[in-house]
Amino acid sequence: MTQMLDRRTMERREIRLAGSGGQGLILGARILFEAFAIEGRRASQSQSYEPTSRGGFCHSDVVVSEDLSDFPLVTGLDALIALDQVGYDRSIGLIKPDALVVVDERLAVRDVGRLHRLPLAARAVATGHARIANMVALGAFVTLSGLCHPVSLEEAIRRETPERFADLNLAAARVGYTLGETVAV
Amino acid sequence: MLDAAPSRSFDPKDYLRLQYMPHFMCPGCGHGIALHALLAAVHDCGIAKDDLAVVCGIGCSGRVGGYIDANTFHTTHGRPLAFATGLKLARPDLTVVVVTGDGDCLAIGGNHLIHAARRNLDLTCLMLNNEVYGMTGGQASPTTAATRFTSTTQSGAIEPTFDACALAAAAGASFVGREVTRQAPALKTLIARALRHPGFSFVEVMSDCTEIYGRKNDLGEAPEMILSQKADMRPDSHRDATDQPFRPHALPTGVFVERDLPEYGARLRAHAAAIRKEAGR
Amino acid sequence: MSARLTALHGNHACALASIAAGCRFFAGYPITPSSEIAEHMSHELPRIGGTFVQMEDELASIAAVVGASLGGLRAMTATSGPGFSLMQENIGYAAMTEVPCVIIDVMRGGPSTGMPTRPAQGDIMQARFGSHGDRPVIALAPASVQEIYTETIRAFDLAERLRTPVTVLYDQVIAQLLESVAVPPPEAVHVSERKWANGAGPAYQPYAAGEDGVPAMARPGDGHRAHTTGLTHSESGFPTQSPPVVDRMMRRLLGKIDVNQALIEKYETLMADDADVLIVAYGITARAARRAVTVLRAEGVKAGLFRPITLWPFPEAPLRRLAGPARAVLVPEMNAGQLVLEIQRLVGRDPPVHPLGRIDGEPIAPDEIVTAVKELAVHA
Repeated sequence: MTQMLDRRTMERREIRLAGSGGQGLILGARILFEAFAIEGRRASQSQSYEPTSRGGFCHSDVVVSEDLSDFPLVTGLDALIALDQVGYDRSIGLIKPDALVVVDERLAVRDVGRLHRLPLAARAVATGHARIANMVALGAFVTLSGLCHPVSLEEAIRRETPERFADLNLAAARVGYTLGETVAV
Repeated sequence: MLDAAPSRSFDPKDYLRLQYMPHFMCPGCGHGIALHALLAAVHDCGIAKDDLAVVCGIGCSGRVGGYIDANTFHTTHGRPLAFATGLKLARPDLTVVVVTGDGDCLAIGGNHLIHAARRNLDLTCLMLNNEVYGMTGGQASPTTAATRFTSTTQSGAIEPTFDACALAAAAGASFVGREVTRQAPALKTLIARALRHPGFSFVEVMSDCTEIYGRKNDLGEAPEMILSQKADMRPDSHRDATDQPFRPHALPTGVFVERDLPEYGARLRAHAAAIRKEAGR
Repeated sequence: MSARLTALHGNHACALASIAAGCRFFAGYPITPSSEIAEHMSHELPRIGGTFVQMEDELASIAAVVGASLGGLRAMTATSGPGFSLMQENIGYAAMTEVPCVIIDVMRGGPSTGMPTRPAQGDIMQARFGSHGDRPVIALAPASVQEIYTETIRAFDLAERLRTPVTVLYDQVIAQLLESVAVPPPEAVHVSERKWANGAGPAYQPYAAGEDGVPAMARPGDGHRAHTTGLTHSESGFPTQSPPVVDRMMRRLLGKIDVNQALIEKYETLMADDADVLIVAYGITARAARRAVTVLRAEGVKAGLFRPITLWPFPEAPLRRLAGPARAVLVPEMNAGQLVLEIQRLVGRDPPVHPLGRIDGEPIAPDEIVTAVKELAVHA
């Protein structure tokens, strides 16, 4: 049984999606933010604010805290989702010792935190498109962290993605649940 | 409102803040003639004083507005067209006249002139061109002719000048004209046409600064300067070799541009109405 | 109807709050990291009968805003440091002619072009002293997206009520941050109506004021045919250089802020009453300080926070009261030491006031403040 983060706790939680521009990291964080909001949790979502849409290191962070005036930027990550090597390399120094780390299986990583190397990109391609790796990762993250309910995630995906992509994104998230459950057992 | 017949004959006293007379302009300054022509044109157009807003910048021209019994705004150097843009967009019901000078309009405010001309908002801009910064003591302006002596060109000006009308026309102004203060009736008629024109109207008024500019350049007293205006306005081919030109370059007068272009304020409001209609509001 | 929670970025919240506050005119010029405000206003204003105009530069933007306000509309602009510099002259004009307007300055790294996409807090002294001469100044410094919403509305209220420009200062981090905002229902938003010279007779004096120091404004077309000038003027609105009149007018103009201090002043404290080390911080830095106080208290260090929400005029009396018993005061800010000068002026030498500046384009992190406070707690 994987160690679950209690989503009812009022404690501050810091989550980062890291990778390169164009991987849908900001949309991913926005969906996560929305999923928390659906559950009545207050959060702040920030991102690297640079012209990164055509590649280069990019990150998007979600800080969950019930204190509305809490520091909204990351100080020590409770969870890191890294889609590629640059995202991992540039963010791994920020994790707390027991952080949940979800990365693509192709990454060269050291054994840190609660590390899960998953075929995020491969499953995304098999599901329909490489660009939905972010949704696969979110699905896996939700299962592994227990920070929010899959129902909330799915509702957030419906709210935040264009209608014509909603089904594909939902399918990707569900692939992610399965990946998460497989390694969690 | 604009085309209403004047109810009585024109008396400048009806349009002036007489409590602030005598005015501060120097004897012989052409700005008073320009002010008189503006008031006569306002009268001819039947514009009520309550509906008239006069926006000025800084300099001798900037002080003209304060004598007019209307809604008057003495703003900052170079910016009257930008202030007027906000005022006119907020209050399309007002007739907004900008009174500016060659330094105010062409140097520090040049950017606002070209963009006001491009937008074609319904403003009437009178640029009083006396070829010098009078208020600050006679420094060279963008219209100071080459060889002229000013307090910052003590051995003669060397920079080329702006042709303000050509500039306004090139920038897209839908009405452009020029007149000299010597031709006061023609000046009034030109300003009235500009006031009636729906869109950005630019009128260059060839004024003269006798005290600071004329004296320094041996251009004579006010009467000589004013009388020489007309001679200098003749095209080059008609000029007499014996002329002692006040302005070395021939400047044509009259209306140069009068075109029917969409007025910005109306366009903006129609655009907004279309958006609201589409949004079902 | 109660407030509904909406996820908003800081700049979006600013635009929506402006519209809720009755802003119907926006003139601006694109500049990072404030452009989203203009973008949202350009979308929203035409839909509600307002006017958006993109001007040729920031000089023209603030001029058009003042022009629209003179015409009677609630008006605003938004910019960042370089544009804020360009606006200073006409902000002074608005203060001198007592024309309400709101200026949003989203602070980025400076000086000059600096770091357009990085946060800073380097414009706070410019907000105070940026325009030449002495003038009344109000500047607000929200620390969250929620507060951008509420303080933008308050900026309009203060501007209209006191007939003066009001600046809202926040930084790139909050501008781009996404947070849940409790958006109040329209009926819960209150913005004072400008004092108009309605029905005033021939004795009307455009710059004569009562005890609140605020004169009634003539609206063009209402028949007053007033004169507005940036020259020093008498109650008549016309220029004067008579020393006693100038003195009287300037004291009334500047005194408008003092008379209404209670209305303008706003601040927040966290465990400041018994603090050994009092942190004075604003904007995003105050949120790092808040986290630091929580961490420090958990470790037994008596730290407290004083957070000015109204930056200018500074809430002097409450700060003096709270700083007095402390052993040290720490002023973290994303500049080379600006507000710390004001705090040193207010507190004097006892207790000592220490700066903690950061000028590398990174926000100050909570643990930097924790370290600095511990240092002071040991040595104080």
